[in-house]
Amino acid sequence: MAGKTIQFEVKRQSSPDAEAMWEKFEVTWKPGMNVISAMMEIAANPVNSSGQETTPIAYDSNCLEEICGSCAMVINGKARMACSALVDKLEQPIRVQPLTKFPVVRDLSVDRSVLFENLKAVKAWVPVDGTYDLGSGPRVFPQQQEVAYPLSNCISCCCCMEVCPQFNDATGFVGAATIAQVKLFNSHPSGKVLKEDRLRALAGDGGVQECGFAQNCIQACPKQLPLTEAISDVTRDVTLQVAKDFLRA
Amino acid sequence: MATSGSNDASHSPSPVGRGVEPLRAGQGNSFLLRKLHSLSGIVPIGAFLIEHLLSNFEALKGPAAYAAQVKFLNSLPLVRVLEVCLIFIPLAYHALYGVYIAMRGKANVIYYPWAGNWMYMMQRWTGYIAFVYILQHVIRQRFMGVSLPEHPGAAFHKVQMELANPWMLAVYVIAMIAVCWHFSYGIWLFAAKWGITPGVKARKRFGYVCLALGIVLAGMGLASIYAFVGPDYKNAPAEVAPAQSRVVAPASAGDDSNQYLTLPFLDA
Repeated sequence: MAGKTIQFEVKRQSSPDAEAMWEKFEVTWKPGMNVISAMMEIAANPVNSSGQETTPIAYDSNCLEEICGSCAMVINGKARMACSALVDKLEQPIRVQPLTKFPVVRDLSVDRSVLFENLKAVKAWVPVDGTYDLGSGPRVFPQQQEVAYPLSNCISCCCCMEVCPQFNDATGFVGAATIAQVKLFNSHPSGKVLKEDRLRALAGDGGVQECGFAQNCIQACPKQLPLTEAISDVTRDVTLQVAKDFLRA
Repeated sequence: MATSGSNDASHSPSPVGRGVEPLRAGQGNSFLLRKLHSLSGIVPIGAFLIEHLLSNFEALKGPAAYAAQVKFLNSLPLVRVLEVCLIFIPLAYHALYGVYIAMRGKANVIYYPWAGNWMYMMQRWTGYIAFVYILQHVIRQRFMGVSLPEHPGAAFHKVQMELANPWMLAVYVIAMIAVCWHFSYGIWLFAAKWGITPGVKARKRFGYVCLALGIVLAGMGLASIYAFVGPDYKNAPAEVAPAQSRVVAPASAGDDSNQYLTLPFLDA
């Protein structure tokens, strides 16, 4: 096995405004190697496949076990987590590029602030500020937990938004991840105090209505969140909220 | 952090000053417009489509029966008001807003060739086909040539002349399939997007229902087209008397003189 190498093509961009270009790398194969560990090796030894020294590759990563959501990139044309992309299962040369719908900071590192802004816009939190003792929280039945737990698995990787044909500059669609979090927090016994605010927020421009139900989100989600189900449920709730607001105005 | 001179910098949360704009919480009225678009596709447009396909199906019984159906529809109370309010206005809205929706989507089937993604793209393409087809169909069949509201007996001949052109026949066949596709997947989308079928299994089951409906509607539509071009009613007369009842009556041009005196649908 000694000497076996893996071919990579990495889309590089030195700054947000610089022109992007592809650079080829060759990395020594190791058992169980994944794309992010290969990126680490390239960054540690920044020499391209023609033997020229280059700048170290910039990328986001953290946990290396598909739980932090940092290392989402487009690998062989598909948005996925680089840490769970095993090189042995990928066609070579492995083409690695940054997510295409988020501004590039440098190389494979992109700015995903839009998801954070969207989560803030829908108040995706339980409003308990800890200023005084509220006592123990309300009981959550196991049946409710069964629904909530899968939704709580979201790792904010933004793959669902990257693959969505409706998430783009023209629509400013909020994306599946945020809608799923609305369902999660609206089902929380303390979190649902903000239910109406969240639903009204999602009726704004770029809200649930922009979903075209291409269902790419559910295919791409590395954590298998029930995203289409959440979109369906939340859209119904938003519609009912808008109707109620109209009649009570 | 780096900033750029990009003109959407004010909307972008990103320090690099570009990217997709975040949710405009509670702002704008695109929710209402989009829901209206979705609803209008089912009622009244979808309901009208079914009516239209059923009426066309009468053509299989021949020119007289077809004429009777056209006459019946044109005798509905306030028919011109119904036509404008339940057909023209909703159809124009659905078509124009639909094109606006379709133009803002960025189909990516090349990268993500998944079934739902294909259907997303097909819904847009069948929509475009329907848009162009219906525009010419309304202009040529409703507003050009013999006016069918005044001469229901001329309906069969008018359509037959149109379909005599093989290119036009091809357009009608393609459009018939595209429209039935768009409508049946539209029902499926409506159920999914309004929260009627949130469950994966429910959506799958309803998908079969919509598929069956689409096949039945397209089959009926294509059968009706066949009635105009097939051997059964070749060279239909320019105008026939509408059939006197639902039972097929022989087509004759002789009693044209008293067609304003009889109300065949009441005799039935």
